[in-house]
Parts: sequence; structure tokens; C-alpha cells
Amino acid sequence: MLTSVPVFAQEKTGLKPGFQLKPGTARIVLLRPSIKVGAQSTGGMFEPNADWTAQARENIAAALGLAQTSLGNIVGDYVEPGNADPAMLAEYQELFDAVAQSVIEYQFFPGNRLPTKKRDGQFEWSLGADVARLPGLAGADYALFVTTEDHFGSTGRKVLQVFAALARVPVTAGVHKGFAGLVDVRTGELVWLNADLQMGGDVRDAEGAQKRVRQLLEGFPGKPADAPVTAVSAAH
Amino acid sequence: MSFRRLGLSVAIAAALISVPAIAGNKLIPAGTRIAVAKSTLTVQPASEWNKLGARPGRNAETWTLDGDALNDLTFYGGIDAGKPLFREADRKNRPLPTVSATMLITDIPALLESSYRIALGTAAMSIGTVEPVTFAGGKGVRFTYAFTRQGETLHRRGEGRGAMIGGRLYLITYEAPALYYFDRSVAAARQVADSARL
Repeated sequence: MLTSVPVFAQEKTGLKPGFQLKPGTARIVLLRPSIKVGAQSTGGMFEPNADWTAQARENIAAALGLAQTSLGNIVGDYVEPGNADPAMLAEYQELFDAVAQSVIEYQFFPGNRLPTKKRDGQFEWSLGADVARLPGLAGADYALFVTTEDHFGSTGRKVLQVFAALARVPVTAGVHKGFAGLVDVRTGELVWLNADLQMGGDVRDAEGAQKRVRQLLEGFPGKPADAPVTAVSAAH
Repeated sequence: MSFRRLGLSVAIAAALISVPAIAGNKLIPAGTRIAVAKSTLTVQPASEWNKLGARPGRNAETWTLDGDALNDLTFYGGIDAGKPLFREADRKNRPLPTVSATMLITDIPALLESSYRIALGTAAMSIGTVEPVTFAGGKGVRFTYAFTRQGETLHRRGEGRGAMIGGRLYLITYEAPALYYFDRSVAAARQVADSARL
């Protein structure tokens, strides 16, 4: 790595204290993943790319399809009734993203943790009990939210990164966000979250998308023991 | 300044901005009257809050329960005439409007609206109801607003109370996503704003 980004201890997984999910006990609904792929301009702005997003959508859906059967519980796809308002699901996904970002910023960075969130092993985050009103969650115990957002550094951005490194300014080329969270439908509480701003796996190809999905679902509650994932967690 | 020193100070400045670990958030205990925003404005919260180490501006500070994207109670403590509400990200290309000593109370929501439109890069910022109230012992205004941030569709609601006192702007805003978060802590935020004194 050329950048001199200071390395801080950062957590990537949160679990509500005492939360356990035994295999075969819950019905989980996988919401339609929220996927954005684009380029990062020299100035750091996000420029969406429809082709990449379409590829990623297909690849991640396929990878999630493969992973769904090995999560230890019944994980079904979200089916929205025909007369439902799609804006409501989108709004909840954006709220989930805002909550995940807040968890990263104010819980996973121990030095920046909010004092009221510092108390013993606390993990209290919620989308609100009204999440149960989402059409398509009837009869579900948990909703699984999945978000990925990738900004691939343009050539200009990478060049800037090199020059910035010479001046000891940390400039990242690329953003590779991934959030996966399990929400208790009855209470709206976030019971498990895996979130990182720099995930591995190029979602534009099938293999990369599988790597991303493995990383997103690492430590999923109730999942039978994983094969070692050391190769996955290495920086891309 | 040599290139090396310049480089170092830029690096330090960048590190301060991009690394939240240095910020130092503090607990605001319940029941104690406390001065906010490096000013003589005081409030007495009935419940606990967290004060963020990162300030929006020299005479401003933010309290939150779950992070400023989920609930944001910001105090502007006597912004002088000629100054913007919060720190300018790009003064040259996107200057923020400034406080004027002769502002009417109805200009306060308009100032917040235009500041947000520029700072958040969003056209989706609108003021709802506006009504006169007594705020911090002065003739003030209470108003509601709604906005989305650039590149997002998450709807946020806000409520502000402000007054021009002694030619300076005093303002308290509370904002949160319309879904779940706004209603969850609006009562606590209103209680803090009700307790404001100069």
C-alpha cells in the first residue's frame, strides 16, 4: 500500500448481547440487496455505472442464492405483494444504511464510541418496530438487509493517491462498503451486523461477488461453522 | 513554509478530518445546567445525551443519541453578523450565506434553508410551519423543515428554534430520519430547547 492511512483497531461485527439463533428455529427473509457500483472521480465524487451495477446485481444475487442454503435457518427471498409501495422498502434500506454507518462510526471505532453506548457490551441499534409493517415480512422472524456500494478509483484518482502519499496525505482510491444486518421483525432491533467500508471481492465478476458475499455473511448467527476465511478477510 | 512542513500540516489536518478516533465524544449528564456552543447559552437536559467532539463550527456544537445521521441536536450559540452558520467546506466556490444583525426572525429559517442547500448539495430542503415563540428569553421563531442529503433518498425531518439577541443569532435545531428516529427523541430534544436561557 502506498497510502499512509493510520491503522486503528476497528471492529467489524456487532452482536446484541445474549442474542442466539439456533439452527432451524427461525424464518429469515432476505430483502432485495441494495447494490451501487460506480467510479470514483479524481476529486473523490461517486459516478454511478449502470452496467457495473447490473453485473454486480446478478453476481451478488447468484452468490447469495448459493449461500442462502448454508445459513442454518430457512432464508427466503423477499416477495413484495403486487400492490405494495416499493418506496417504503427503499426508505427502510436507506435507514438500515444510515444505522450501519453510525454503528461503524460510533461503535466499531472504540476511540469514537458514544459515551451512552460504551456501557458493558452494549449493542443497541434499531430500525423501529414499524419495520414489521413492510409488506412481505408477514410471518417472518428476522429480516436480512444486505448493502454493497463500490466506488472504483479512476486512473486520475489513483495518480492523486500516489502524489498525496508523497505529501503524506491519506487519500483512498476506491470505496468498497458492505453491510449485512439481521433485524428482529417483532422489535425492529438490529441483532447482528457485519459492516466494513473496505471489503474485498470485485462485485463485477462472479468470483469476486462470491468472495464479497462470504465476507458479508461471516459470523452470521446460527450458521454452522465456517471453513477458515482468512484468505477472504485479507485486504484486496 | 517548506514543502515538508506544508505536507506534514496538511497530513495532520487531513487526519483530523478523516479519522474520527481523535474526536473525543463526551457524556452530557441529565439534570445539570450546562453552557453550550462556547457561548453564554445554557440548557438543562432532562435525559442523557452525547456531545460530539467534532463541532459544525466555532460557535456550534452537536449532541446526539445514536450518531448525527440518526439524531442531531445542534446549538448555534450567538453567531456574529457576517459569519455563516457553520464551517464552510468550499468558501471560494460554494460560499454560505451569513448572519446579518438586522435579520428578522422569519429570516432565520430562510438562512438555515439556503445554508443546507449549499452545504448538503441538495435541492430537497424545505421549510414547513413557521410560528413566533419566546426563545432563550427573546422574541424568536419556531419552525419545522424536511430534507434529504445529496445522493440519498432517506427523508429527514427537522425542527428549529431561534432568535436574534443583541445582534447575534441563537438557534437550536433537531433533525432525524422521518422513519422511527425523529419521533423517538423529539420530546427529549424539545425539552432541551425549552430549557434554553441566556
